[in-house]
Amino acid sequence: MTTTNDSPVVELRSTGKAYGNIRALHGVDLKVFPNQVTCVLGDNGAGKSTLIKIISGLHQHTEGEFLVDGRPVRFSTPREALDKGIATVYQDLAVVPLMPVWRNFFLGSEMTKGPWPVRRLDIEKMKKTADHELREMGIVLDDLEQPIGTLSGGQRQCVAIARAVYFGARVLILDEPTAALGVKQSGVVLKYIAAARDRGLGVIFITHNPHHAYMVGDHFSVLRLGTMELNASRDEVSLEELTNHMAGGTELTALKHELAQVRGVDVEELPEESDLTATAS
Amino acid sequence: MGMTQQAEPAVTTPPASGPGMERDGRTKQRPLALRLLARPEIGVFLGAVAVFVFFLVAAPPVRDGSSMANILYQSSTIGIMALPVALLMIGGEFDLSAGVAVITSALTASMTAYQLSMNVWVGVIVALVVSLAVGFFNGWLLVKTGLPSFLVTLGTFLILQGVNLAVTKLVTGNVATDDIQDMDGFDQAKAIFASSFDVGGVQVKITVVWWLVFAALATWVLIRTKYGNWIFAVGGNKESARAVGVPVTFTKISLFMLVGFGAWFVGMHQLFAFNTVQSGEGVGQELIYIAAAVIGGCLLTGGAGSAIGPVFGAFMFGMVQQGIVYAGWNPDWFKAFLGVMLLGATLINLWVSRTATRR
Amino acid sequence: MSRTFLPLPRRLVPAVAVAAAATLVLAGCSSSSGGKKAEDADSGVSAGKATTPRMTIAMVTHAPSGDTFWDTIRKGAEVAAAKDNVKLIYSNDETAADQANLVQNAIDQKVDGIAVTLAKPDALKDVVAKAVKAGIPVIGFNAGMSEWQKQGLLSFFGQDETISGEALGTKLDDTGAKHALCVVQVQGAVNLEQRCAGVEKGFKGKTDKLYVNGADMPSVKSTITAKLKQDSSIDQVVTLAAPVALTAAQSVDETGSKAKIATFDLNKELIAAIKDGTIEFAVDQQPYLQGYLAVDSLWLYKNNGNYMGGGEAPILTGPAFVDKSNVDAIGVFAAKGTR
Repeated sequence: MTTTNDSPVVELRSTGKAYGNIRALHGVDLKVFPNQVTCVLGDNGAGKSTLIKIISGLHQHTEGEFLVDGRPVRFSTPREALDKGIATVYQDLAVVPLMPVWRNFFLGSEMTKGPWPVRRLDIEKMKKTADHELREMGIVLDDLEQPIGTLSGGQRQCVAIARAVYFGARVLILDEPTAALGVKQSGVVLKYIAAARDRGLGVIFITHNPHHAYMVGDHFSVLRLGTMELNASRDEVSLEELTNHMAGGTELTALKHELAQVRGVDVEELPEESDLTATAS
Repeated sequence: MGMTQQAEPAVTTPPASGPGMERDGRTKQRPLALRLLARPEIGVFLGAVAVFVFFLVAAPPVRDGSSMANILYQSSTIGIMALPVALLMIGGEFDLSAGVAVITSALTASMTAYQLSMNVWVGVIVALVVSLAVGFFNGWLLVKTGLPSFLVTLGTFLILQGVNLAVTKLVTGNVATDDIQDMDGFDQAKAIFASSFDVGGVQVKITVVWWLVFAALATWVLIRTKYGNWIFAVGGNKESARAVGVPVTFTKISLFMLVGFGAWFVGMHQLFAFNTVQSGEGVGQELIYIAAAVIGGCLLTGGAGSAIGPVFGAFMFGMVQQGIVYAGWNPDWFKAFLGVMLLGATLINLWVSRTATRR
Repeated sequence: MSRTFLPLPRRLVPAVAVAAAATLVLAGCSSSSGGKKAEDADSGVSAGKATTPRMTIAMVTHAPSGDTFWDTIRKGAEVAAAKDNVKLIYSNDETAADQANLVQNAIDQKVDGIAVTLAKPDALKDVVAKAVKAGIPVIGFNAGMSEWQKQGLLSFFGQDETISGEALGTKLDDTGAKHALCVVQVQGAVNLEQRCAGVEKGFKGKTDKLYVNGADMPSVKSTITAKLKQDSSIDQVVTLAAPVALTAAQSVDETGSKAKIATFDLNKELIAAIKDGTIEFAVDQQPYLQGYLAVDSLWLYKNNGNYMGGGEAPILTGPAFVDKSNVDAIGVFAAKGTR
């Protein structure tokens, strides 16, 4: 867990995105360093997906700056982001379920052999490489021909992470990798996040679970309604504070008052704002 | 396959590579025969064999070599189009304009050559450009608008149907094209698109050869090339494919253009086999192409299928259609027989793959 | 999405350029035979123009689009309209209910006359009655021989399908045929079934029926080939449309069958085939005449109160036989697509 003082690989400077006249994201500052896990937290609709889409090249920002290696960029396709070493692993669209594991592993970056008219996939080599890389990450599969859709959610995430690492990603964006997983599988995925960081990658870990974030994170950014609410490194923030930010402390207090008026809920039993700690998730 | 909590990746610190590789033990290797049977093209193969054997018994003339050549000819004209339609379907899209596009191509070639009194090859090339352009338009509109291909190609289907008729009428004054048999280059073009050759005293149509060549090519492309990988990916999950850098737009548009190429080829066959083309033909054929692809194991929703399956699908169609005639059954029931046989064959197909994949 | 699309046209440019260049190169080698140049630049039928007041006539048929036969009917109607100073509104729909809507449409437009085909008379009964009630003269043509009088139509022009079938069947007896095959290109079409039934009635030999898919010529060819193979005793093929006859000729040729071919209806290519003996003869119902008379009779009724057939008997436009003996005379007109 060494925090290097290198310059950031990816940097956002008061970046924003508007879809027509709907402002999804506004004034976001973010620095992603190698060897660090930068966690982006936020509730549904906070603008997390918009943020990922800008960095991964699916959408373009409409305000502010987006820099890679200190140079401003504007990606028009995910391919361009990939070429800069920015790989994204999506929670639900990480893979093509009906395709075999090895084809998924190399999808979009297939290995080929032979001259043009008969240039073909190097299936042997791809299968071997995929198997080797997966074993490196500690994933053992009997049959790489099985459709990836038959793997468990955690395994699919791990294959996608192994894939990104293999293809020389310098920045790995993980979109809610633990959202749909059980406790045990989440632990496995977190382990791979740490493994990826230790290999020198800058990891952007998107989640709405502060506990997961705090386990691996070096830096924390909390988004709310499209703007940055908190931007702090690990030593500046405690798990309690993080949880409180995520749970929306002030909003909960307001909600408590409303509930009291509507149905006469016994608000005395509800915790005070300051008590809102680890119990909320 | 039941994935439950035990589906936990074994985390090993030192990677266990080498010959005696460890196995996670969940995916028990199933017997080879069963794994083979689970492939969709094997199901349709058995369905085709069943239909073939059935007519071999029920219709004595089928046993003759020339009858077989005739059945294969009928199958090939469906099959050549069913191939690109199948690839497109694997890529997650439909093309309802495929049937009339064949006629558009034939009309274009015939009218261009005839009206300008030029070598028929000029018409053939112009027709190719037009066919590819129609395919491009379909694909371009689809990716541009994000509309479902059903709607986009239904639109093209109707447009082409109207244009076929109106332009033919406008240009020739009739609703069919003029005979181009006596024009320069006709014999040459006929040799390529519509000739036949002798195999042991049986006249076999050249379209049968083209059909098999195209099928082999499509199979190779689908399984062995990058492009094939992309076809499966854009049909299986377009967004994931895009996210990992697959050129989705290129793949989709080029698939529609492949259908355009197929339409061009079959259109040229029809033109050089029958010398003239009626502008109202081709309607309804698109469904037969789609049916051959689906019977051949291509998933209607995209992402799965093969190029060899539709070959058997088209053969099954041709076999049933001609087999009923060879059997000399009451023609009033023709369509009903056709439907029952196809359903039956498809059910065999389904039953085989269900049995094979059952644990 | 639109942005990712940019590279493609760039890749396409060379392809288009190559195609264009190829076209230009090939343009140098124009065909020395055939083609438009070889076609006689002959104008269609034309006559003077009537000075009667402009009137509007709607022609509503059950024709499928893009069919040569129906196109000839339309041509006849158009020529009559031009001559009679008539504005012709042509519409067609194969579905009876939609055809009825088209008739209603004509009534709404307050046309001066309606010419309609009664392929499915019951479906059109109500709307025809409406037109008659609105004082619009209605005449029938092509289909509806048994119904036109009951529905209050002024006249009827057409051919009785059964009678022409019978005539063809009788003629087959003269040529010595023993076993005929009647090829039907659309399953469930009343007029086609009547033709086959007529052939069966008039022909002393055996008549079989075969259904083919008229929208797909390769399949028409394969199916006829299969049938000839299955039953080698067939010595006569009867087709119900000209393009099917020409395709049947290929099938006969391929199977080495001795069968001769006779057909209903004509077209340009068929004339050539009759000339060189590939096709034995054709029964023509003179579609041009049907279209022409339908319009002309409405004009006569409006301007001079005439009824053709006196409102009692249908006017028969067929059957007229075309064989080697008269093909040369008729061929001139068929080449223009008017016969």
